[in-house]
Parts: sequence; structure tokens; C-alpha cells
Amino acid sequence: MVGLGGASASEAAQLARLEEQAAHGGGGAWEYLCLVRRLKVRRPEPVLRLGLSLLNDSKARSKLGSEEWTLYEQVAIAAMDCQNIDVAKDCIGILKKKFPDSLRVGRLEGMLLEAKGAWAEAERAYAVLLENNPNDQLLHKRKIAMAKAQGNTTLAVDYLNKYLEIFMADHDAWRELAEIYVSLLMYKQAAFCYEELILAQPMVALYQISYADVLYTMGGMENIQTAKKYYSSALQLTGGKNTRALYGVCLCSGSINQLSKGRNKEEESSELQALAAEVLTKEYKRQAPAKLPIVTEMLKTMKLS
Amino acid sequence: MGGSDESIKYELSQTAYIKLVLHALKHPSSAVNGILVGRLSSDNTTVQISDAMPVSHSACALLPPLEIALTQAEEYYCKAGELNVVGYYHANERYDDSELGPAARRIGDHIFRYFPQAAVLLLDNKKLDGLIKGKGRDPAVVLFTRDSSKAWCQVGSERTSQLVLKEPSAHSLLADHITSKKWLEIVDFEDHLDDISKDWVNPNLFK
Repeated sequence: MVGLGGASASEAAQLARLEEQAAHGGGGAWEYLCLVRRLKVRRPEPVLRLGLSLLNDSKARSKLGSEEWTLYEQVAIAAMDCQNIDVAKDCIGILKKKFPDSLRVGRLEGMLLEAKGAWAEAERAYAVLLENNPNDQLLHKRKIAMAKAQGNTTLAVDYLNKYLEIFMADHDAWRELAEIYVSLLMYKQAAFCYEELILAQPMVALYQISYADVLYTMGGMENIQTAKKYYSSALQLTGGKNTRALYGVCLCSGSINQLSKGRNKEEESSELQALAAEVLTKEYKRQAPAKLPIVTEMLKTMKLS
Repeated sequence: MGGSDESIKYELSQTAYIKLVLHALKHPSSAVNGILVGRLSSDNTTVQISDAMPVSHSACALLPPLEIALTQAEEYYCKAGELNVVGYYHANERYDDSELGPAARRIGDHIFRYFPQAAVLLLDNKKLDGLIKGKGRDPAVVLFTRDSSKAWCQVGSERTSQLVLKEPSAHSLLADHITSKKWLEIVDFEDHLDDISKDWVNPNLFK
């Protein structure tokens, strides 16, 4: 799914560092687990390993206080991701004893059924929970996830659209829908999703780059010119160094030159393209000098085409 | 019978094979794809797939990363190493999805324009599972080639000999790498775009 899209580069580095440290017995396991939760990334193996060792250590567990239950939930989900059904069952059992009528635990039980592949039972479990909690977003998302997991992409798209009619501020859902549309080659619909995201969060460079990627993929002069504008906008938002946006500007310029062979070329485009090429060259010289000749050749080809 | 293309064999080197499997293992919850490079044998009977360049692990069906990757692959492998882009590999998002989806087909068509005997390799998760558990000797990929009607067709079981692993040691080496979690080290082109100090050639992967 979403991966590290939401985390910044520094957060990603911090995550990697903590993971490394904790893996080699250097402590910081709880810090790592909290960061994983905050960034909402998917790291089932280390979470399961580190979380379990914390839970099995009664001294460490009692230090967590009420956070202990959050950890059980986190480990249960990681266990399901690793197909370790027994550990998941144990954690959920402990949570159920502590919180017998909880919706949150009920959801976990539903997820456990999903993890076992018991789709019909899971659907029934969620239906019951939804009766009493018709506006619970996470329950709706489980239904969407189940449809996707069973390969019923049309149903997943249908559910997602219905979900977004009610919960239209859910940016993760818009992104998920966009990504499903892209995988189905439904680029116009994907573009619409990114437009919604850009409207809602105009300062997030990622959406503008993804939108530009979709437009470029759709092709045609108008789309590519618009894509170039969004890549440039993303560059402004990221201090001019985002590699994808830099390449994007170059790709668009190259394509526009190709498409408008024989017609009048815009004067402004060559300045932006030259600047992007210059920044790319500088960055490669600094960080990846071995690849510089390849990039230089590529840029040459684009300027000539 | 069909044209001479039907009897073309595909020989998959362990470097290419292991790289594509590791790439898929690194991103278990998304689709991954990449480019295959190699050459046509001098007697024109065999496509020798010698290396794999991992490209995407998110939004595989978007053009920009693929286009840049192909351009740079040409620079690196073709001009310098006298190899060609000879195919494309894809691993689906879901475990039980064994179909070559629309995105993979479209990219396959794109690659076909570079190389008419292009191969599309789709990772077979069930076979891979078997390999991880220590059984099974077939390559954990399914070969697709383009037939005369321009559609990508799976090479059927009667012709399993059309795709062979070059080195007999490939599977035991792959098993070792899986045990040692080698997939953590593999870098794809998207990783490179997010951090250009990461090398999509993966030069030290097997050292």
C-alpha cells in the first residue's frame, strides 16, 4: 500500500537507524515501535520480533503502563502480516479479556479472520459491528481491503468511491483509489483523485508529482505541458532538489520538443529545462558520481530530440 | 505451426533470476517490476537473459520512472556492455494472482518494440513458496511471449523446456540468499529516485 510516502527522508533515516540499533541489541525498541506507529509504515518483521521481546519481558512490559495494550494491538497486526496466526490470536485474546466489549478489539478479531482467509466469516463479523457502529471508518476500510485482497478490484473501487462520498477528507483513501485506478490503467480517474488531493493539500509535493506522473503517462501535448507545470510546482515546494520532479521536468521538455518539431517552441521552457538539467548534474556529481556519465548522456539526448 | 519465434529458447542467468526474486521479496505487499537485459545467441536460437534491473515497487504502471530507467539501462548495459533490453519481469501484488495484468502487458508491448523476441516473466508465488520451503525445482517464474496475434501468451507446460535456468546452482544459491534476508539490500530504480546515492546496478549485492 502506501509505504513510506508520508514520511520525510529524515524520518525514514531515523526509522532505519532505530531498526538497525534495536536489531543488534542496542536498545531503543520502544522508541522504534512508537515511530513505526506514528509514521504508519509497514514493518511487520521487526515489529513482531521487537514487540514480542518487549511483551515477553515482564519488567519491560510493566514499565509501559497503559501503553502495553497499544503494543499488544501493534504486535497482533504485525503477527497477522507475517502470517503468525498463533501470536496474533494470543495477543487478541489478552486484549479481549481486558476490553471485553470493545469495537477496536472486535475489528482485530475480524482482521484475524481475514488473515486466516475466512472471508465470509470476516464479512459477517464486520456486518455485525457495522450495525452498531455504522460510521466507523476503519470498519469500512476493512471491507475495502477484503475486496482488494480477494482480487475483486471492481468491488474495491466501488466501496472506495462510496466511502469517499461520506469521508471525503480521508487523504489516504484518495491515494489508495488513485493507485488502484493506475493499476487498472484508468488514468483519467486516477488524475481526478490526485486533483482532489492537490485541492485539499496544495503544499504536499508528493501529490503534485504523482499527478504529473499520471498526466505524462496519459500523454499528448496538453497533458505533458500541464505535467511540466506540476513538476515545477513540486520543485518549488521542495527547494528545487526533488529528483523525481527534476527528471519530470526534463522528460516533459524532451517530449514537448519531440511533439512540437517544426512548430514554434516556447522560449521559457528552455530556461527551466536547462536549470533542471543543471541541478540534476550537480546532485549526481555530489552524491552519485559513478552515474553521472549516464545522466549526462540522457540529458544530451533529450535536448537534441 | 507458428513462425520461428516459437522455438526460441530463453536462458535465465542466476544473476537475473535471483535479483528479480529478491526484488519481489523486498516488497511483499506491492507489485514490482523491472527490465531484463541480455543478448540473442549468435545462432539466433536462444535469448540469454544475463541481468535484471529492478525498477518499481509502487505504481508500476506509470511511465516516468520506467522511461528514465529504460534510457539509463540502454546507456549502462547496451552501450557499455553490448547487451540489449530483452524483456520485462513483473510480480503481482497478491499471492494468488497468476494473471498477467493490463499494466504488465502494456509495458511488455513497449519492450517488444525494442526487441521482438522479448520475454515477459511473471513471478509465480506458489512456486516461490515451494522453493522457500525447500521443495520444487522449476523456476519460480512463468514465461510469456508474444504470439502472431500480438497477445502475450503463457508458454504452456508442454514447452517448459523453453525457459531454462542457466546455472544448475541457481536454486540453492537463491535459498541461501532468502535465508540470509539478502532482499533487504536490493535497490531498485525508484529507490534511486528517492536517494540517488543508492545504486540500481546493485554492484555489491552478490559479493
